[in-house]
Amino acid sequence: MSVAIGLAVVVERSTPMRGAVELVVHHPPAAAAVKPGQFFQLAVAAPQTILRRPYSAAWADPQSGRIGFIFNVVGAGSGWLAVRHEGHELDLLGPLGRGFDLDRTGPAIIVAGGLGVAVFPGVVRALVGRGRHVTVLLGARTSAQLLPADRFPGAEVMTATDDGSAGYHGSVVDLLASARGEGPEIFSCGPTSMLQALVERTRRLEVPLRSIQVSLESPMGCGVGTCLGCAIPRPGSGYLLTCLDGPCLAADRINWDRITDTFHG
Amino acid sequence: MAELLDLSVDLGRGLRLRSPVMVASGTFGYGFDAPLVDRTALGAIVTKGTTPTARDGNAPTRIAETASGLLNAIGLQNPGVDQVARLYAPVWAQWDVPVIVNVAGDAVEDYIAVARRLDSTAGVAGMELNISCPNVANGLQFGLDPRMAAHVTASVRAVTRLPLLVKLTPNVTDIVAVGRAVEDAGADGVSAINTYVGMAIDVHRRRPVLSGESGGLSGPAIKPLALHAVWQLAAALSIPVVGIGGIMTAADALEFLLAGAAAVQLGTVNYVRPQAVREIRDGIAAYLEEHDLRALGALPIRPVRVEAHV
Repeated sequence: MSVAIGLAVVVERSTPMRGAVELVVHHPPAAAAVKPGQFFQLAVAAPQTILRRPYSAAWADPQSGRIGFIFNVVGAGSGWLAVRHEGHELDLLGPLGRGFDLDRTGPAIIVAGGLGVAVFPGVVRALVGRGRHVTVLLGARTSAQLLPADRFPGAEVMTATDDGSAGYHGSVVDLLASARGEGPEIFSCGPTSMLQALVERTRRLEVPLRSIQVSLESPMGCGVGTCLGCAIPRPGSGYLLTCLDGPCLAADRINWDRITDTFHG
Repeated sequence: MAELLDLSVDLGRGLRLRSPVMVASGTFGYGFDAPLVDRTALGAIVTKGTTPTARDGNAPTRIAETASGLLNAIGLQNPGVDQVARLYAPVWAQWDVPVIVNVAGDAVEDYIAVARRLDSTAGVAGMELNISCPNVANGLQFGLDPRMAAHVTASVRAVTRLPLLVKLTPNVTDIVAVGRAVEDAGADGVSAINTYVGMAIDVHRRRPVLSGESGGLSGPAIKPLALHAVWQLAAALSIPVVGIGGIMTAADALEFLLAGAAAVQLGTVNYVRPQAVREIRDGIAAYLEEHDLRALGALPIRPVRVEAHV
């Protein structure tokens, strides 16, 4: 595991959608090492905070040495990160955890709810680069919270909003039926309730759980497997760790009845 | 220059550390999952709490950040002593840093079983008893009562010749009484302190954040409390006190050493700065040099009491 710790310089800050911030940092070794779906532990210096914050890389470009992070401002840590600007330094530890397995063939469907979309720009680029047909299903509360479709070049993008302000009026999971190709593989990230709905829907559509990969979020201490804080229930008894066994893993490895809703998106 | 300094610490019964900086139980696993940590800077590793048989641990949510602190309720997830002795200890035997196994259980028999299994195991340099576990017989933590603490300490002492530390809970009225009791029962040293019981409530979901409702608070939030406990214990006991509680910097560690701790353990900081062990060890060395002290042992422990204003 080529985990590194170091300072990365913020080279760009933008607002890709309402409520979210995208920070682009320059760190060539990390940009070369990170795989789609892996995460970094970012140190924050907000008053009274202690822990690093785990963020999946939204994308990485080994050529330019850049990594993008997209996050919502939900608390002290993300609030501190949100006011970083060009020239500021970020202390990052990573890449950590397991990314998505992208090496199968056939069509791929992305199901992203809310801020769950943040992990997918790099994933979609990698899938398209492997010659796979990719359909991106984006869901948000309202149109202003949708990541623009041009962030997914080469993919077909369909949207759903809770308020009907863009695309389908309803849950992104409802789009699944219209997007199905032959034996698709599904990649998903979003609120726990959306992931549970997705699992339920795919059961009815007779898509096997093992052909779904999800990226999970959970409260995390160390990010490297020592604190055992980021437990995910597995089928039967016992737990996996989000940081070591995930954050990306096949849906059949998770106990969907015992999972706790801790999504911050 | 720093290499001429003697940072070694003698914790008794042959347990000699080359540096006073240890890592605390539960923050370092069994020593295998810690990238970027410089083992050569470590005085000793204290492992995750280990029970007679494997445990799954608590349901999530297991951790929560609070102001300058971290609550945890992991629930003693561990692979059980047999796996520790068979798979991990042989690797530790090859390392040049002592590994102390933290021992936990629900009954005195559990502690005895783990201690017996470890006593004859190469690679295990010592044991640290976690007496903050609830006793299944009466639901009370062993560490809350001096007599129960002494009983579990004496029971383990009877089955091992390995160095034996007892990790004290601060959730008591008189920690010195518990410290004296375990000293009399044969402990070679005390580790002070374990976490403080606390909780956090999620106001959006209107329920405790942790699935176990309460958890143990660590981090800088508890440092002054821990320091005071160590100060009191060091004055009262003649066995070494290992100071633990919210140490983030070399200055924090020096506070504990000046309060009378023979060594310190780093916990929460390991999650934030994986290189803290090296930074803090080097910071202690720099402090000694700056004050023309050649050895940690030359540090004037327990500063002169400030006279109270009359």
